[in-house]
Formats: sequence, structure tokens, C-alpha cells
Amino acid sequence: MDKILEGVRNLKKILKVEQIQKFYGNKDNLTKAIDDISFDVEEGEFIGIMGASGSGKTTLLNCISTIDTVSAGHIYLENQDITEIKEDDIAQFRRKNLGFIFQDFNLLDTLTIEENIALILTINQVPEKEIDTRILEIAKKLGIEEILNKYPYQVSGGQKQRCAACRAIVNNPKIILADEPTGSLDSKSARQLLEIMEDMNQNMKATILMVTHDPVSASYCNKILFLKDGKIFNKIQKGEKTRKDFYHEILDVLALLGGEQNDVR
Amino acid sequence: MLGKLSFRNAKRQAKDYVIYFITIVIAVALLFSFNSIAVSNDIAELSSSMKDFSQVIFGINLLIIFVMAWLINYTMRFMLEKRSKEFGTYEILGIEKKDISKMFTIENLIIGILAFLVGTAFGCLVYQVFTSIIMNIFEQPYQIAIEFNWKAVQTTALCFFVMFVLVLLNSRRKIKKTKVHDLLYADKQNENNRIQNAKGNMVLFVISIVLFLTGVFVLNLDYVDVDKMDGKETMIAIAMFITGVYLFYRSISSFIVKRYLENKTRKYQKNHLFLYRNLTSKINTMSTTLGTIAMLFAFIMIGGNVALLMNGMLNNEIAMGYPFEIMVSSLDGDFSKYKEYIGKNANVIDLYEYRTYNIPKVSVDKALQDTTFEDRFDDEWDTAICLKDYNRLREMLGYETVSLKEDEVIVQCMKSAEKHFVDYRKENHKIEIMGKEMTIKEIRGEHLAQLGFNGYMYCIVVPDELLGEIEKADFKIEKPFYDDCYKLVAQTEETTGEAFYDGLSEYLIYDEMEQIAVIDGEEQQYTMNIALGNVRTKGNRTAQVKSFYTMISFLAFYVALIFVMATATILAIQQLSDSEKYKYRYELLKKLGMEERVIRQTILKQLLFYFCLPMFIPVLISIPAVLIVGQIFTVAVTVEEIWKNMAVVIGIFVLVYGIYFVATDVQFERNVNEGK
Repeated sequence: MDKILEGVRNLKKILKVEQIQKFYGNKDNLTKAIDDISFDVEEGEFIGIMGASGSGKTTLLNCISTIDTVSAGHIYLENQDITEIKEDDIAQFRRKNLGFIFQDFNLLDTLTIEENIALILTINQVPEKEIDTRILEIAKKLGIEEILNKYPYQVSGGQKQRCAACRAIVNNPKIILADEPTGSLDSKSARQLLEIMEDMNQNMKATILMVTHDPVSASYCNKILFLKDGKIFNKIQKGEKTRKDFYHEILDVLALLGGEQNDVR
Repeated sequence: MLGKLSFRNAKRQAKDYVIYFITIVIAVALLFSFNSIAVSNDIAELSSSMKDFSQVIFGINLLIIFVMAWLINYTMRFMLEKRSKEFGTYEILGIEKKDISKMFTIENLIIGILAFLVGTAFGCLVYQVFTSIIMNIFEQPYQIAIEFNWKAVQTTALCFFVMFVLVLLNSRRKIKKTKVHDLLYADKQNENNRIQNAKGNMVLFVISIVLFLTGVFVLNLDYVDVDKMDGKETMIAIAMFITGVYLFYRSISSFIVKRYLENKTRKYQKNHLFLYRNLTSKINTMSTTLGTIAMLFAFIMIGGNVALLMNGMLNNEIAMGYPFEIMVSSLDGDFSKYKEYIGKNANVIDLYEYRTYNIPKVSVDKALQDTTFEDRFDDEWDTAICLKDYNRLREMLGYETVSLKEDEVIVQCMKSAEKHFVDYRKENHKIEIMGKEMTIKEIRGEHLAQLGFNGYMYCIVVPDELLGEIEKADFKIEKPFYDDCYKLVAQTEETTGEAFYDGLSEYLIYDEMEQIAVIDGEEQQYTMNIALGNVRTKGNRTAQVKSFYTMISFLAFYVALIFVMATATILAIQQLSDSEKYKYRYELLKKLGMEERVIRQTILKQLLFYFCLPMFIPVLISIPAVLIVGQIFTVAVTVEEIWKNMAVVIGIFVLVYGIYFVATDVQFERNVNEGK
């Protein structure tokens, strides 16, 4: 497996996680949510992070997204150490470099779909005239241009999540962080969303890091890290395999990993 | 066990109860201090009419109880909403609704009693402040002493008890009625995002603006000619304003959408998008509340202004009408009894006797044509005074003396009418008196009792040479209030009191006079007992005016304070109860990368907009309305004073409002940042 990794290392590394640790509690009662994790994400990769609940995957995502801080170690996004960013500059860093997709959509119901997407652009002070064209361009690709003028409560969950995906990519972030994006969707909507994310990854060259515990969702990734008790338990690569084969490979690892068999029944 | 639980809960939730607690404390403090004033002997003894003041306060307290009960009910509902999840959990755990509502009641009783105690203590302080202000107005020495008036405590306790029981019964009923599901998911309920008929609303918006403008116009109609005022137009104007206000707040969100959100360039500027969407969705769901609040504000502003104007008018009336401490007039010039009484009961600095003269009306009164002083027009007579007496009066009051050539006169008028005469004189220098053409040398507006004592509105100062002819003619009019031309004025060392006035008035001579009045379309003759002369003392008038002043201004401020408090509380609670919802929105902004500094600014802007919105229209309406209604008072109050009053009223208003605003902003930010 290391050989395969060696082969793609000539690609540009966009995210470099180096020996990070995250502890909770005090000296007497220490919980290691993340215990010495290191990995790289290359530009244009669609990487999945899997693991049982409590394995540290959300903590890891939060550390990368600067919502949480690490106890030790470094995270580099394009050579910038994000663990060293000053408190005052974090917000700016986040809006310039990161795109988010959350499990529960996080759309504002007072804004239309279009305005929800525009929000991130106005926060980034994109010139007003550009905003419209940029939204329309992305919305067309994601198939939501029909519903742009509707309010979130007027559209389905799948459409809401596509809107959220649109918001995540419209700002051309260096990396999109997705936290259980299919968690609130039915299987059909989930598949649609995953196809869109695959499209974003392949055709719009978006780098995506997705946390999920759903093997179907994970099978859309081209690389998966398995976490257990705050450590990397395993890494698998899709390579030239079909999605179906990759899916079965994921199930095998999960069986080894234990704890999530119920999902795989 | 349940008692313990509820006590612990009350303690733990103290922070959430802050606004609720403050509201009750202020309510109790105001109730208590005003009740104390109402029953205070010190104050009742100040002046005869202060007793009525006490009566009125008791009456107004009734009104206040209702407003307060409504307010406390509102805050209680807010608390109920805030703790809905907790109660829902209790219910799921199997605690009976009866017990939950009992717990809520006990908890509120604890807080209520605590607030009552604090409020009463605070009210003691407020009472001291109010009393010393009143004593100051009456120029009485007052020593601050902690006195506890049991009667006031009882009355306040009774009011409070009635209020509280009403509210508690209501919320118990509410708890019993709600279902577990509603309790558990109360905070998930969303703004009612009505998709509105935007075009229809724009029409309503335009209509509301038209209503405001025409309302001002219609209101003005009633005041153009004060004599013909019948209040009809005023009522129509008020109806127009009320309709306009409600339409305005119903349609304003559509206007904002049109103005800021349909134009994409404007929409995507800065934080417009987030801000205006927050605002419009909120306005949509509570347009009626906003309208009502705006009505209350308009009421407070106009009422407060009119109260201040009345007070200004009364003070000016004293300055204009009572420049001398003692002023007596009579038909025959025999002042011996008066002088004896004055000599015995006051320390006279200066005393002077003189006379004025009736002369046929001169053309100078045309200056007042088409002004608010026009009612002077029916009269056929003017008053003249000779230069020698005029100068003596001026000396008594510390003004410099003046001189006249033999064909010159001075028009001495009330300060508030001076402008009209000066304008008139620019074009008309000459007047005819007793068939002689005279030049108006100047117009003078010092306070020389041109309020029915030395002429009404104005008098003509003639050179001593002209006096001979006037004296020869010796016009007698034989109507009441015309022929008491002999005058006595005096200045004393100390101000005289009500008793002095009563004593001096004993020497007035009364006479029966035949009068004709039109009753039911028929002319009827009746006799009237009329004083042949007049006694005025500055001290007595001041006492009367001051008790009136105290009454009006205190009641106006009492009611206004409570209304402002009520409305500000509602706005504060509205925003705070929504802060859960906003917390989610602002947290998302933070995740998307908005700086905290910008978020703080946005919160401030949002609250500022929200607090200013219901103030905007009342201020806009009340300025022209007060200027128009103020015309009634221009006999005694200048326009500059009206503006000054307005600034004072708006200033006080903004101050109280501002306190609530700051408290809301601080609490709101804390709520949004909670759990971070």
C-alpha cells in the first residue's frame, strides 16, 4: 500500500497533518480523542474518514477546520501552519480557504437558496456584480438553478444539501470539509448528493475531506482513513477498482475494525 | 422535594430572570413611590389643590395595574417559553402537570416576593427624590428622612398582589393546556415566513405615507382658527394616524425588501443580506405589536409635550401677568384699606399708585390679525398709560426709563406677541389717537402685566402732553373688567402666601350686575355678583400654578415612564426570547468565517434597527402634531420653547429607552456566545 502512496506523491500536497494529538480532561482523567495522527491530502483528492462514534473523526475534522485547537502537532494547509494562526485571523483564514457541508444543512431559513449561497460571498466581500454570475454558474452544475428563489422550507432535504454543497464550493476553497453530509438524507437523495460531490471532485477539481460512517458514502471517495480510538487503524485506496469492489473492501475493513457491524448487516 | 427543586431552579435561573426581575422591581418601586406621595401629609399640606393630586394618583394607579399586569404576563410567558424544555422533560419523567404548575407558581412567588421587597426599598429612595423635587418646586426646606408609610406599603402590596395573582392564574392555565410535544419543541418553532403579496403591500405602504401627510394637514385645519375649533378634524386626524401606523408596520418589510433586497447590488453589499432578512422576517410576524408600540410612543410624545407646554405656559403666565408681588385695581382709587393690610402683613419695598385710561381702539391691533392672538379683535377699547407712570413702573422692575416726544407713543406688549407688532411697525409707523396722528416710536416687550392688568395683550404709552385730552374724555364703559382703572402695585421682601391673598381679597367690593345670556336660543337676563376691581398676588398664583405644574408633569412622567418601560421591555424580551434562534444564525456566520468583530457589529445593527423602528414614525408624527397643537399655547409660549420642550421630551425618552437597549445588547451577545 505504501508503494501506491509513493506513486502519487508527486501530486501537490494541499493538507499535511503531522502527529497531532488532542486531549480532554485533566491529568488524573485524560481522554485522548486524537492520539498521534499523521496523513496528507493531495490536491484533487476525495478523502474519506471513517470510524465508530467516539473514534475521534469529528474532533479531527474540527481541528482541521480551525473550530477546535490541537493539543500537540501541526496541520499545514498549503504550507501554512493553521495551528499557529492568531485568534483574530482565524475567521478570515476560514472563509478564504475552507468550504463546509454540515449534516443538518445549516441554511438560514430567512434567506432564499440563492441568498444562502450569496452569504458566503458577501462575507468574503466579493464584488456585488460578480456574485450573481458565480452563483448561477455553480447552481447550474449542481442542478439547483430552478429552486434558487425558493426558501429552504420549500425544498426537499436533498435540494437543501445540494444548496449547502453549492455554498461550500462557490468560493473556490482550497479544501471542502464535509461532516456526515448524507446523515440527514434518504438513500436516493444521498446518492444524488454523492454523485454531485464526485462531480465537484473530478470536474471542478475540488479537494474534499469527508467524515462519514456510511460505507456507501465512503465508496465514492478515492482514499479512506479508518480511525479507532484516536489512531489511524487502516488506510485504503480506491485506485482502479470499481465502486462496488471498493464498497466491499470497506465493509471488510469495518468488520475488522469492529463496532460498526450493525451498519453493514 | 418539589419545593426544594423549584427553589434551586429559581436560584439557578436567576440570570434568565434578570429582565423579568428588573421589570417587577421598577414597577413596584414606581407604584410604591407614587402611592407614598399620594398619602403623604407633607405634600398634601403644600397647597390646597394638592389634595386633588392624591386622588388623581389613586385613579391612575388603577390604569397602571392593568398595564403592569399585562407586562408581567408577557415576561412570564417568555420565562415559560424559555423553560419549556425543562418542563417537558419533567412531564416525560412522569411528574404531573398539576405539580409542575405548582412548582412554577412557588418559584414565581419566591421571585415575586423578592422583587417586591427590593422594589419597595428602591421605591423608598425614589420617593425621597420625588419629594425633594416637589419640595424644591414649592421652595420648602426638606430633610431627607427614611420614613416608612404603612398605608403606602399596604396599597402597593394590594396592587401587586392583584396583579400577580391574575398573571399566575393565567400562566397556570397555560401550563395545563400545553402538550408535552409543544413544550419539548417550543424552541424549534420558526418564524412564520408568510410569502406576502408584495405589490399589495407596496400600495399599503404608499397609502400609509399619504395618510400621515394628509393627517398632518387635516389636524392643522382644526387649529387654524382656534375659536372655531370643534375637535372634529382632530379626531379624523388621529384616526388617520392610527390607521397609517398599522398599515405602515404591516407593509414596511415589503418596502425594505423592495429597496434593499430586490436590487442585487445593494443586497450583496456588506452585511445587508443577513441583516435585512432577519429584520423583515421579524417585522412580518409582529407588525401588529410594532404598530401598537408605535401608537403608545406617539401618545407619550405628544402627551408629554403638551404637558410640558402647559407647564411652560403657566410659568410664562406668571412672568408676564405678575411682574409685581401685589397688584390691586379698583374703580375709585381708594386703596387705604388695602394699604393698611399690606403694611401689616408684608414688608413692602416699594409701593406705587397710578391709573390707566380707556381709549377707543387704535389701529395698531391690526398687527394681531390672522394670528393666534386674534380674539382681541372683538373689543372696541384699548388701554393707555402715561409716560410718567410707565417709567415709574419700569424703575420698580429694574428696567431703564424711556422718553417720548410729544407726537410719539410706545406700544408696550406681551413678549410672545412682540414679533407681530414689530412686523406691523415696519410698514405702519403712524397711528391715530384721540384724533391726533402719532408716531410709534418703538415696540417694547418687557413683562409689565399686559395680561389684563395694564391692558390686555398691549397698552399704548402716551406722552404726558396727550394725557390731558384723554383725561377730559374720561371714557366709562360700564362693563365688568373695564372701569377698574385705578391701580396699586407693590413689591415685598418675601413672597406672599395663599393666606395673604385671601386676606387681601376680603376688601374687594362686590356689586350685582345685570347680565344677558343666550340660553336655549332665548335671551335671558340674570344678575351676577361681580367684583369691582381685582386683587392679584404673585405668591398665590405661583402656589396655584405650581401645584398644577407638579400634578401635570408628575402624572405625565409617571404614565410616560411606565409606558416607555412597558414597550422597551416587550422589545427587549422579543429579541432575547429569539436569541436561541439568532444564536444558531450567528454561529453559522462564525463557521462560515465572519469575524467576531463584524458579528458584534451586526448584532448591534440588528438591535438598533429593531429598537428604532417603532420610534421612527412616532417621532415623525409628533413633531408636526406638537407644533400644530402648540399653537394654542403660543399666547404664552414662543415657538423656540416648543422646540426646546420637544427636545427635552425626546431626550428623556431616548435615555430610558437607551438603558433598555444597552441591557438587551449585552444580554443578547451573551446569549449568542453562550456555551462557547
